[in-house]
Formats: sequence, C-alpha cells, structure tokens
Amino acid sequence: MSAKAKPALLWLQSITCNGNSHSFLNHPDLFSILSHFELVYHPILETGQTIEKMLAGTLPCDVLVLEGSFRQKGLRKNGVEVLEVALQYAHKAEHIITAGTCATFGGIFKQKAPDAISGFCFDEAEQTPRYRQYADKLISLPGCPIHPKWLGYVLMMIADGRQIPLDEMHRPQELYGITVHTGCSRNEYFEWKVDTKGFGLKEGCLFYEQGCQGPYTRGSCNRILWNDISSKTIAGTPCLGCTEPDFPRTTLFETKTRMGIPETMPLGVPRRAYLTATGIAKSFKIKRFEERIITYDR
Amino acid sequence: MTVKKLIEKIEGEAELDFSLKNGSVEDVTINFGFYRGIEEIMISKAPRDALVITPRVCGICNHAHLMAAVQAIEHGYAGTGISVELTDKAKAIRDFTLACELIQNHVKWFYLTILPQLEHLTKEESKENHALKASYLSTTITKALAIFAGQWPHSSYAVPGGVTCDPTYVDVMQAQALVDETVRFFEQVMTGISFDAYEQIDSVAQMHEIKGDIGRLLYLLGHYDMAKRGQSHDRFMVLGETTGFVQGKSIATTIANVDVRYVEEQPQSGTTAKAVTYKKRQYEVGPLARAMVAKDPLIRSMHKRYKDSLLTRIFARMHEVAYLLRICQTLLKGLDLRQDSCTLEGHLLASDFEGIGMVEAARGSLIHKTVVKERCIENYEIIVPTQWNLSHGTQSEKGIAVEAMVGSQSMDEASFIFRAFDVCSVCTTQ
Repeated sequence: MSAKAKPALLWLQSITCNGNSHSFLNHPDLFSILSHFELVYHPILETGQTIEKMLAGTLPCDVLVLEGSFRQKGLRKNGVEVLEVALQYAHKAEHIITAGTCATFGGIFKQKAPDAISGFCFDEAEQTPRYRQYADKLISLPGCPIHPKWLGYVLMMIADGRQIPLDEMHRPQELYGITVHTGCSRNEYFEWKVDTKGFGLKEGCLFYEQGCQGPYTRGSCNRILWNDISSKTIAGTPCLGCTEPDFPRTTLFETKTRMGIPETMPLGVPRRAYLTATGIAKSFKIKRFEERIITYDR
Repeated sequence: MTVKKLIEKIEGEAELDFSLKNGSVEDVTINFGFYRGIEEIMISKAPRDALVITPRVCGICNHAHLMAAVQAIEHGYAGTGISVELTDKAKAIRDFTLACELIQNHVKWFYLTILPQLEHLTKEESKENHALKASYLSTTITKALAIFAGQWPHSSYAVPGGVTCDPTYVDVMQAQALVDETVRFFEQVMTGISFDAYEQIDSVAQMHEIKGDIGRLLYLLGHYDMAKRGQSHDRFMVLGETTGFVQGKSIATTIANVDVRYVEEQPQSGTTAKAVTYKKRQYEVGPLARAMVAKDPLIRSMHKRYKDSLLTRIFARMHEVAYLLRICQTLLKGLDLRQDSCTLEGHLLASDFEGIGMVEAARGSLIHKTVVKERCIENYEIIVPTQWNLSHGTQSEKGIAVEAMVGSQSMDEASFIFRAFDVCSVCTTQ
C-alpha cells in the first residue's frame, strides 16, 4: 500500500443471515466512512468486482471484514471452500474485523453443528487454532447484529491511524468496556430493585423476571443508541446477551434465579455485595417507583 | 447447452443452470447452497426463544419472522382455550413496524438491485449514487421502526399478547416525522410528483405522470421492449393478514378464499430449498400477488395490458411503498396510548400446544409452525416466500420464476427477470 492509496476494504461472508451487512447500511455516515477506503468487495454494495474474482482470492485486501461463522469444510461457493478464501485474505490483511457474534464466537448458526462451526478466532470463549496466527491484527466486534456505529468507529480509527484499545478478547474497550445496563432508561428501578409488572410497561426493571442480561452483557447499546433512537431495554425488551460468547442462552424471556435472586450477577459484582445492596434497597418502599409515570386519563 | 451462472447480491447467492437453445433460454434450474438449519436449532428450546432465534433467519426480513413466530405462539395459546385478545394499539404498532420493514426492503431492492442491474442490461449507466439513496431511505424508515421495536435488524419486541414497548406521544411524533420524511423522498426523488397526485393514478393511461427514479425505470423497461417479458402462471397467493392486505388467491383476476391446510412442502434434488405448492399447483407470492388479490386498480390496469410480466411485478413492489406509507400514517394517527401494550402475563401460559403464524413479509407469505410439548419446542417449520416463487416446479408445470425466465433472449435478461422476484437466498436456505 503506497502512502497515498486508500486501504483496500474487503467484506467476506461465511455462514450468515446478512444482518450485519444490513445493519451497517443503516449508518447515517456510511458513505463518508467508506470514502476513506477503497471498497474492493461487498455482499450488497456494487464495487465493480464480481464474487468469482473475490473467491479467487486475488483481490487486494488491507482491511478484512468477516461476517458469519466458519466451518473447516462444507461451505463452498462457486466450488471453493469459503474458509480457504478467508484465510488467503486474512494473511494479506493488516486488520481483521470479525463483524458480529457469528464471525467472532460462532453465534446462533454454531448450534447446528457445535463441533464443526465456530467464529474465526474464537469458538465461544475459547481460542481457535487460527487465533495465534492472526491475533496481532484481530478486532472483535460481537453483537447480533453488529451496531453500525461500532463498526463505523473501528473503521475510522483505522483510517485515522489510531491505536484501538482492546480487551483480552480483542473487543474495543471504548465499546465493550461497559455493559448494556449502562445508560438504560430503567436504571432507577434497578437501583431500588423494583421489577416491572409485565411486558409493555416503561416502568420497572427487566432483570428480575423478564430475563434481561443487560447488567452482565458487554456492549454500549444504551450509550450509542440503536438506529440513533432506541434500544431493546428502552423498548421494554430484555437484553438477550447477543454480544456474549455464549449467545444464545436458553429460556431468554425468563430470569433464572437462585433463592429468588438472579443467578447471574451484574458483571464483576460479588454475590454477597449484591445481596447486601439488595437487602438495603428492598427495605424501603419508594412511592414514586410504584406509580405509573404518565396517567393519560387524569 | 447448459451454462452455470452464479447470481450474487441476492441476500447471499444462487446458482442458475441455464439450458440454452439458439441463444434463448429453454429451461433453468435454480440451486441454493448452504443449509443453516434454523428449524433444527429450534428443537427442544423454550417456545418463546423462537422470538429471538427465528429473526436471525434473515438480515433483511427479520421483523416478519418475529411476527410469524409470535403469531404461531398466540395461535397455539388460543387452541388451548387461553383468550388472546390484543388491543388495537398493540395490533397497530405491530402492523406499523412490519410495514416499515417492507418499505425498507422494497426501496433497497429498487436502488441496490433493480435500477443498477437494469442500467447494466440496457447500457444506460447513470452517474447517480443509487446506494446512497437506498441507505438514506432505509436509515430513515428503520429509525421509525426502532422507536417501537428498540432496534432493526433483529428486534424481539413482539411477545404473546402484544408488544414490549410503552411509547409516549413524543415517540409517536418522532415516528410520524420520519414517515413524512419518507413520503417526501417518495415525492421528490422516486416519483417527481406529489403523494396525493400519485395516489390519484389508477390506470396505465396516467402512468406517464410518474417521473423521478420510478419514471426512469418505466422508461427503460418500455424503451427496451421488456414490458411484457417475464410472464409466469398468472396465479397469486396471499396468506398473511395484516392491515391493508387481504388473504386469498387470484387466478388471473378471479379471487377465491384460501386454506393453509392445502399448502404442501416437498424436498427437491440438487438444492437445499424445498418447493411449496397449494393443491399441487404453483402460485406467485409477494407485492404483485397482494395487489392482485386486493384488487388494486392501478396494478389491475397494468395486469390487463402486460399480464404478470416483469414490468407489472417490479412496479407492484414500488407501488406498494406508497400504499404502505399511507397505512403507516393512518396507523400512527389512530394510536391510542391509553390502551395496554400487552394483555397476557409475562410467563409461558401453556405447556403443550400447536400453533401457526402467517404474515406478509416483503417477498410474500411467510409461515411459521410450532409444536410444543412439555414447555419445549418439539418441531418447528418455516415456509418462506422465496420457496413459492423459486421452486423447480412439478412434473406438470415449471416453477414461477423458471416459467418467467423461459424464452429470454439472453442469460443476462433471464437473470434480471430472476432478480425481479426480489430473491432472498438466506431465507430460502434457512
């Protein structure tokens, strides 16, 4: 890559639903971000290159975006194993971005054949044999799908030549250093341990009954809003833990409890600390948190 | 002579095997590749996990899968005697968000697939950034969707008994503004005329009034003599019932009732996609089918002149954008936020049930069937619209898209006819 040339960006799909591609198409600054790159191949956008050429493994590639989970053998396009193509480009690339939970950890499609299907460098939380070879250029962006702004952030950091602070699973700390709970519109109810009385209410916390995984799921969904306007928990849907290595868990709309207390604790919080805080909070009855916020008929 | 061609950018890929004779297309075999196995993944999961897992069938019509999944559970509940009565508010919000997804899909298809491909085919390349228009419109209308559903793609906000959101009028007003912005885009960029003037057009004779990008589409198809190409069996099916759509079947212009019990799936050789028939016959699903069954005057008028051709099929999808935008406005205006968002309890209400959900997705009728035993899914079946339109066909008749492609003068023309069905590879290979 010459000093002036824009980095070549190649987007490769493996076992996927296309959700990450479509999510990114909703980035309001999509074309301004892409203007910093030479888009070599994309599964939806026209680039002047055909899929046959891309599958031949001969296109330039400085930034490789991977979408979908991988299997060693058995996913062939135009007679070529997709993993082989991914490896060719991964070798060339300076940065590898695993876009979405499938490409990062294996995700939903892994469940069809748990032993054969995984993410590119991780199999759930475990490193795959590929990890060692690509660790120095790997950026993990889990999420089902990816948040468009998260990918936009990573691409612009690369375009600007900045170092991205990553955690031990190669997730950008600026995006995954906090939990989905951070910034949730229901935080007051969590603080005072007031659960919601059911689905379809803006009042109450979804952590105790409705299965919300927000307090222990890494991600900035409630800091950088979805579609620039909302999030699952704002809309009353529990956080489903879609950025985590073990996504999807089971019975997603119910909280698993132990002795009446959620089984999984908020990230990093010892159970004893949680129980103490809960005991104190629950010993008070705060009238405001028992009432509706808006009463239209008054 | 048989020639293989890989078709890309159709939510994945498909391989078409063309049988050619003297340069024209005699037959086509449509093959879809990798099977992902969502139906199998569902087995032994909790019934409501379908609301999370099944949207991941498809990145572009995930919301329709959510709606089919929740309706399947509600239908199953009702079968055990549980009263499932949604409020008008919950119904309207569901219909609104689904309509937004359809609009997003249709406009993206138009700007990312149809217009660029037609320009390649006719060598009338423009310098326009079609993708920018697609992205702008999609970003705008899915933002309106996300106000209620939390996010797009992959929301799980529809739960048995209603929706999880509890919007305020502040939310409703923001959604209204985004719908109005989409209407403005339709007026200024897509049609070049006012929305009211567009809605007055009810016959082919008035269609010259349509300018803008849809006008350009009509010009290109007409000028290159493609208006009557791509005709198929002239049989249409609509199974879903959401605001604005009518259930039924239409054979040419004769409308009749339908019963989902006659819908059958069959495996096909050489592809992971199963074929679907109704009483052993092929039916087309999607916007053209919906307009024919609902007796839309303009589409009926086009059908009279061009039958179920490429032109009618493509235009019906764009016409549906206007139709849905008006429905979106009406639904938001009528929202009464005093009503409950969700009328059922939050926990699973029945341990054994069988249910079926049918909705109109962007590409046509989508069916989910769930069988639940002892609080676990025992069997899950998904029938997607593309299975109707792209099957190989039966002994006695070719599949809908195959029939439309036969007789094409080139593989490029046939591929364009294929894309006019708005093919979704990932849905087909669930």
